Amino acid sequence: MRATLAQMQQRLHDTPHLLRLGRLFSDTVLLEVDGAEFYLTFRDGRLETIVEGPSRKTPWRFALRTDADALAQFWQPIPKPGFHDIFGLVKIGRGRIDGDILALIKNLRFFKEFMGLARAESRTEELA
Amino acid sequence: MSFEPITGRYLTITVQGRRQRIYVEIAGQGAPVLCLHTAGADTRQWRHILNDAELTAAHQFFAFDMPWHGKSLPPECFQTEEYLLTTEAYMETVLAVSRALGLDRPILAGCSMGGRIALQLAALHGDAFSGFIAIEASDFQPAWYDIDWFHRPDAHGGEMGAALVSANISPHAPQAERWNTLWMFMQSGPGVFRGDLSFYTRDDSLIGRLAQIDTAHTPVHLLVGAYDLTCTPEDARRTAAAIPGATCTMMEELGHFPMSEHPAGFRPFFADALTRMKVSADV
Repeated sequence: MRATLAQMQQRLHDTPHLLRLGRLFSDTVLLEVDGAEFYLTFRDGRLETIVEGPSRKTPWRFALRTDADALAQFWQPIPKPGFHDIFGLVKIGRGRIDGDILALIKNLRFFKEFMGLARAESRTEELA
Repeated sequence: MSFEPITGRYLTITVQGRRQRIYVEIAGQGAPVLCLHTAGADTRQWRHILNDAELTAAHQFFAFDMPWHGKSLPPECFQTEEYLLTTEAYMETVLAVSRALGLDRPILAGCSMGGRIALQLAALHGDAFSGFIAIEASDFQPAWYDIDWFHRPDAHGGEMGAALVSANISPHAPQAERWNTLWMFMQSGPGVFRGDLSFYTRDDSLIGRLAQIDTAHTPVHLLVGAYDLTCTPEDARRTAAAIPGATCTMMEELGHFPMSEHPAGFRPFFADALTRMKVSADV
């Protein structure tokens, strides 16, 4: 997971339109996968740090909690219904989003496209 | 230069005592089909059907922008008004447009909130139509989100709305049409998507009316995309099961905006639905 996140970080920094979309986004997001915590701290749209948990003292704005198999399906080139979107994961009971949801909604396109950056082929920006 | 065969015209109707200037697109010749767009969007969602040479050879399609949407203006004095669509105003608008166009019992084809109101009209004004194609339509879904998110001074409601509804677009959709579909939401006027969602997520009056629909006189066919998270296949099947005689087809590779997001994938399902209207209309 750590390597995948590092790859997503690199792709984000190589994607000008995402950096533009996220230019006002400076927050920490908790990504929890099978209980393992990853604190993703964004600054002005760039993913500044990826810090592994567990941590009880790291503040975060919103969290996406899911499992590795669901994420693997989410990152397929053509995901199955429900696995095609982070809200789909929630809908089918394979994900949970909590915290400051409005902060997520205000930056929804940015965050969904960021999450799509690990998709197996390069259609991330349209599938996210 | 070659124009598309779609013609755009304006007409003025009166709804609940207020004048509404309505934009209508027209294409084809034959049996009339009145097309309704989804929440937060406009008639452009139907552009591929209205440009389809084969379908327009036997049908005349009319697609109109609801008041506040697309090229239809909001009513006079809108500037101090909170837009909240209601079942009554929505039904009256559709009936008034149909009358103003001089349509004789058109087929009514609506998507999402357009499908919801098509089923309301099937229950309460079935005689005004010859059949109903209810796309991504269901009895009721409460919102899991806060509709107020989409109308606030510190963020762009259209961009947030587009990002939200992108969850309902199939990954099979061609990229260009995915983004054309989302663009309409990005362009939606302030508070319009929210006002549509108020109707869609708060009015559950259709549930008790489904059994009233007389499919012997006005057939009802539901179409639902497998990738639709808002009106899921289960929602559509439940709704169809509550309407005696209604039929329902699931579209494996489509989402919540099938005619717009993936026109080639949607076309055969829509052509089949039109055929079902004809067969039943002969009964």
